[in-house]
Amino acid sequence: MEETIIKAENITFTYEDGTQALKGIDIEIKKGRKIAFLGANGSGKSTFFLCLNGIHQPSNGTLYYRAEPYHYKKDFLLKLRSKVGIVFQDPDRQLFSASVRQEISFGAMNLGLAIEEVKARVDRSIEDLEITAFQEKPTHFLSGGQKKQVAIADILVMDPEVIVLDEPAAALDPKHTTIVNHHIDQMAKKGITVLISTHDVDHAYAWADEVVLFHEGKIIKSGTPKTVFSDEKTLLATNLQKPSALRLFDDLCAKGLFDPSLPPPRNLEELEQYIHDISKRSTAL
Amino acid sequence: MIIIDKLCYYSKLRYQNPYIKTAWAMIALIITVSTRSIALSVLILAAMSYLTVIKGGTNLRRYCHFMAIPFAFLFLSSFAIAVNFSKTPLSVLSLPIGSWYLTASFSGLYLVLQLILTALAAVSCLYFLTLTTPMPDILMVLKKVRCPYLIIEMMMLIYRFIFVLLDIAYQLRISQICRLGNKDKRTSWKALGELMAVLLVRAMKRANEMYDAMESRCYNGVISVLEETGVATKKEIALLAICSLCLTAAALCCAYLGI
Ligand SMILES: Nc1ncnc2c1ncn2[C@@H]1O[C@H](COP(=O)(O)OP(=O)(O)OP(=O)(O)O)[C@@H](O)[C@H]1O
Ligand SMILES: [Mg+2]
Repeated sequence: MEETIIKAENITFTYEDGTQALKGIDIEIKKGRKIAFLGANGSGKSTFFLCLNGIHQPSNGTLYYRAEPYHYKKDFLLKLRSKVGIVFQDPDRQLFSASVRQEISFGAMNLGLAIEEVKARVDRSIEDLEITAFQEKPTHFLSGGQKKQVAIADILVMDPEVIVLDEPAAALDPKHTTIVNHHIDQMAKKGITVLISTHDVDHAYAWADEVVLFHEGKIIKSGTPKTVFSDEKTLLATNLQKPSALRLFDDLCAKGLFDPSLPPPRNLEELEQYIHDISKRSTAL
Repeated sequence: MIIIDKLCYYSKLRYQNPYIKTAWAMIALIITVSTRSIALSVLILAAMSYLTVIKGGTNLRRYCHFMAIPFAFLFLSSFAIAVNFSKTPLSVLSLPIGSWYLTASFSGLYLVLQLILTALAAVSCLYFLTLTTPMPDILMVLKKVRCPYLIIEMMMLIYRFIFVLLDIAYQLRISQICRLGNKDKRTSWKALGELMAVLLVRAMKRANEMYDAMESRCYNGVISVLEETGVATKKEIALLAICSLCLTAAALCCAYLGI
């Protein structure tokens, strides 16, 4: 039985200017899962993430952290934020210090750890995220991708149970995307629950245990990547493309080249393997 | 980006102990300003320039350029001190203007020379500090000497924000130019006004967002970060003490000789 770590019950959120960004969200987030949130620009993903960590207080509905309803008192919020960390969409919004090490140490210092422990954790995250090469540079000399790495280290150093990454791959080149994705996988392996928002359907399909589709402030579909991405109608409504591996697989099944009872390939490499197997079989015949 | 900020990160003295560097700059500064001796000022000017340029590796031309900034200002203002209007002509120069004289004296010139050299020496002390010590290190020193938290935190955030805002301003400016926002004087001024307005709004928004981001990392009113510049070693302290003593001795000599 998987343990529910965060639960949202019918939460709504309206910004001061009257924009209703969330219109009733229900979701249960299970411990240790890798969850991808997809949806058009302005569909409410970032807003929802800010609710998870108590920055925004929903106008209606309730959030629960391990069955304890959120209440917006200081001690609860501090506890919550030490367990649920957010890496913001734009690292410039997150980095406040000119010194990389000081920047990374901030969260850990706030947890009230001993200085030695803070140092050890800062060193570890700097090493884990491959920041060593530029750790002595001031933050305003860093490139976008390097800033993102620091922003992730900022949260990792707090050793949270849930880590929320708002578009971790935005503005990154392929190399940095690979580095960041690698670290996200690393976190997931350690048992941290990882929530990401992304516009990359292929990545979501290949990586996630669960996919959540946002549409105009609501969740219109959630479930395993296979079920969500097979639902053509919903995909059309949210203007999302089917992941290319799945699309090719379906096409090839329709042509009778593949057996539809095969588990659908999660990425192009798996699909290639299937094709490889077929050609082997046909030469054997 | 701001060049003077960039230089300190490339200085060869960057990783030297910031407490020692700050203490040295401050001691030298106090001695210069309190003695106002010409000989001592020259000595300190030379020592600080040596440290910044030769030891620190700051480009000499850049350094001279930075030194020239206060120099130009000093030169103009000291002119006003050296030259007097008086009914009686003085020793150096006297230009009669009606029944008055535009005139200067040796002692006046001496005073001006003393003033300029003291000021330049004082400035060289500060340049030594700014060109070898990055801002976060200076903040750490300020914290050590019990400067109020509020001031330190403001300095820290302002320092970071200068670059965030410069970056936004730069992007806005580029995007305006791309859309011919500077095609003539009129549009240029208008575009500048709009840039300022947008920049203000963005700054407010950024500040809010950064506050949220800090809150989400358990910020509780005090910015606490890791401070890890090592304690000064015995050798460093000894060096500082010896240099300071020499400087004091030199100051006393200068005072005794009256130079
Ligand atoms: N500070 C704010 N004030 C007013 N409205 C806002 C604010 N931030 C976001 N909104 C609005 O709330 C809605 C949801 O925005 P949100 O940032 O959550 O979307 P998103 O799914 O993260 O989009 P993206 O993929 O572009 O990041 C949008 O309509 C947006 O205009
Ligand atoms: Mg967003």
